[in-house]
Amino acid sequence: MTPAALLSHTRGTAAERARPAPAAALFPPPDQPCRAGHGAIQAHHGEILQGIFYSADGAQEHGLVTLPCGLFATRARFRPLRSGPLTVEPRDRARARAAARLTLDALGRTGWGGSIRIEGNVPLQWGCGSSTTDVLSTIRAVADAFGVVLEPEWIARLSVAAETASDSLMYGPERAVLFAQRRGCKLLDLGGPLPAVRVLGFNTQADHGTATLSLPPIPYSVWEIEAFQPLLGLLRRAVERRDAALLGRVATASTVITQPHRPKPDMPRLLRLAREVGAVGTQVAHSGTVAGFLFDPADDPAGRAARARQGLRRLGVQRSWEFSTDLDPKPEPVS
Amino acid sequence: MSGTLINANFVDAVALPRIVWLRPNLIGLSFTLMKLLPARFIIRKALEQGELRPGGLIAETTSGTFGLALAMVARLGGNRLALVSDPAIEPPLRRRLEDLGATVHIVRRPGPTGGFQQARLAVLERILEENPGSYCPRQYSNPHNPGSYAPCAELLAHAAGAIDCLVGSVGSGGSVCGISSYLRLIVPELNVIGVDTHRSVIFGQSDAGSGRLLRGLGNSLMPANVDHTAFDSVHWVGAAEAFRATRRLHRDHALYMGPTSGAAYLVADRWARENPDGLAAVVLPDEGYRYQDTVYDNAWLEEKGVRLDGPDGEPVEWDRPHDGDDPWAFYHWDRQEYGEAMTSPGSLELALR
Repeated sequence: MTPAALLSHTRGTAAERARPAPAAALFPPPDQPCRAGHGAIQAHHGEILQGIFYSADGAQEHGLVTLPCGLFATRARFRPLRSGPLTVEPRDRARARAAARLTLDALGRTGWGGSIRIEGNVPLQWGCGSSTTDVLSTIRAVADAFGVVLEPEWIARLSVAAETASDSLMYGPERAVLFAQRRGCKLLDLGGPLPAVRVLGFNTQADHGTATLSLPPIPYSVWEIEAFQPLLGLLRRAVERRDAALLGRVATASTVITQPHRPKPDMPRLLRLAREVGAVGTQVAHSGTVAGFLFDPADDPAGRAARARQGLRRLGVQRSWEFSTDLDPKPEPVS
Repeated sequence: MSGTLINANFVDAVALPRIVWLRPNLIGLSFTLMKLLPARFIIRKALEQGELRPGGLIAETTSGTFGLALAMVARLGGNRLALVSDPAIEPPLRRRLEDLGATVHIVRRPGPTGGFQQARLAVLERILEENPGSYCPRQYSNPHNPGSYAPCAELLAHAAGAIDCLVGSVGSGGSVCGISSYLRLIVPELNVIGVDTHRSVIFGQSDAGSGRLLRGLGNSLMPANVDHTAFDSVHWVGAAEAFRATRRLHRDHALYMGPTSGAAYLVADRWARENPDGLAAVVLPDEGYRYQDTVYDNAWLEEKGVRLDGPDGEPVEWDRPHDGDDPWAFYHWDRQEYGEAMTSPGSLELALR
C-alpha cells in the first residue's frame, strides 16, 4: 500500500531494485587491449531535497536530490597492469581504491592492478560529494581503460559498495533523480533537469567541514517523514514547469526540516536574509556545511546576489561564490 | 492517477481526491470518502507500533463517515471492528457497516450527563476493558489523524503548485489542520479558512439549544486535534446556506457531495470571487448518497424551511466569536490560540458590558 499512489508506477519495488543486473553483459572480451583510462565527474552543492520517501511497496527509503555545481569537479586516470598492486594517489583515497578493485572484478579483471591518480577541486567535507566524485571518477577511469562505458545504475551499485553511501552524480545534471543514497539506486526519475537557478554559495562554518560519511541517519519524526511527500510533489511540478520559484520553496522546506537535526549556525538569520534579498530559496548540504541562496535567473539574479553577499558579510560570512545550473545558457539579449 | 496502475485494494484506489476546477482560480478536492486517509494511516501506524496486533480488535465510537472508513480498512486488513453508535444511526449505514463485518453496538439511552455522546463513550471504555489488546483509534485526539493528509498535500502541490488559500470544514481537526500543516512548509503564507456551523464549540460558540441540523462539521466537544493557530479566518455557516450550496455544487458542477462540502464550497467560492488573482483549494469530504432523502430531497428541504432559490447573501463580519445567529458570519481568527481569541478586544468588550 502506498500513500503516494501517484508515484507508484514510477518507483520500483524493493525486489525489483535488489535484482542484480546481468553481470556477463559487462565483461569486455579477455583479449580486449587496455590503455590508460580517464574519468571525470562534476560535484554538487549539497541537496535541494533530502529525507525519507515511500517506494511503490510502501517501504521507506532515505533519498535525496542534489544540486549540480559546475564549479567543482574531479578527474581520475587509471593505468592498468595485468598483475601487481593497485595503488592510488593521493594515498588517503582508500574508497577510490576499493571502488577500482570492485570495478576490475565487475569487468572480469580480477587480480589486475595498476595506478590511479585523482585530482580535482572539490572541497573536502563540505557536503559537496568529494568522496563520491573520487569514487565515481575512478570507476569511470577503470572502465574506460577497457573501452567500457558503464550505465549509471552499475556505477551506483559499485559506488555504494565502495563507500556505504553515494550521491546521484553519475546521472549527470541533465536528468534530476530522487536517489536512495544508502542503497545506491534511483527511487524516482524526475523526467528532466532541475529548473535553472543562479546560486550564491557559501560555507556556514568558514572553511571547516564535517565527516559526512560517518554521520548516522537522521531520526525523523513520523510527521517529518510524511512531510517529505508534499515536498516531492512540488519538486515534480518545479521540474515539469521549469519553475525556479517552486524549486526554491522545496529547498527551503527541506532546509527547515533538517535544521533541528543537523543545526547550521545562524540559519534563522540566513533564511531571513534570503527572503529580504528576494532569493527564491535556501538550500544546504544536509550532511555537510555548505549552503546556497537560489535566485530566479529571470529576476535580477546579479543584483539580488550582490545584496545577499553584503548581507552575508554582515553575518560574518566573508567567502562566497556564484554559479548557474543552466544547462543551455541563452545568449544575452541584443540591446 | 495513472490509468495503467492497478491498486492493491479499493481503499488505496479511492483514498485520494479527484482534483477539479470549480472556477478559474478555485480547485475542488473531491473525495469519495475522505476519512479513509486517517483510518488507513492510524491503523497502519498502530500495527507498526504494536498497539494493534494483526487480526486484533479495533473499537471506536462513531456514527459517521469515520466509522465507515474504519470498517473498510479493518475488513481489508483482517482486523475485527466494534463500533458504538446511538439510535440516530441511519439504517443503510448500519447495514453497510455490518456487511463489512463490524459489530455495531447501539446505546439505547442517553447518559445522565453528557447525553448520548457520554453514554457511547462509557460503552466504548467497557468494550476496550473487556478485550485486552484491543485498540481505539481516537480520531479526535490521535495526531495521526491530521498526520495522515500528506499524500493529499503531495497531490495538490504537484497539481497546483503553491496555492494561496485552503478552505475546509472543521469537525475533528484532521483534514484542514493536517493539509495546511504540510502545505505551510512550502507556502508559509498560506491563508487557511475554517468552516464551522452554529452551536459548535470548535471556534467559541456554545452548543446550547437544539441540535445542529447541519451534520459532518462542528462538534459539541472540543477535539484536541484542532490546532486553532492554523486558521486565518473562521466562517459559521447555517444549514440552509450549506444545503443550497451543496445543491449548487451538484447543479453547476455535477459534483454529488454531502452538505459539509457545500458549506466549504460556499465560503471558498466567495473567497475566489473576491480574490481573482489568488488560487484557492477547497476540501469536499464525502459524496452525497447518504443525503439522498434529505439535502437532495426538495420536499425534505421545504419541510425544514429551506428554499433552494433563496438568496445566499453575504457573510456578516463578527469582531469576536459569539453565539450570534447571523445565518453566515465570519471572524478574522488571525492564527490565535483558542484562549486568545476568546479574550480578544472584541470579547473583552462584551464581558465588560
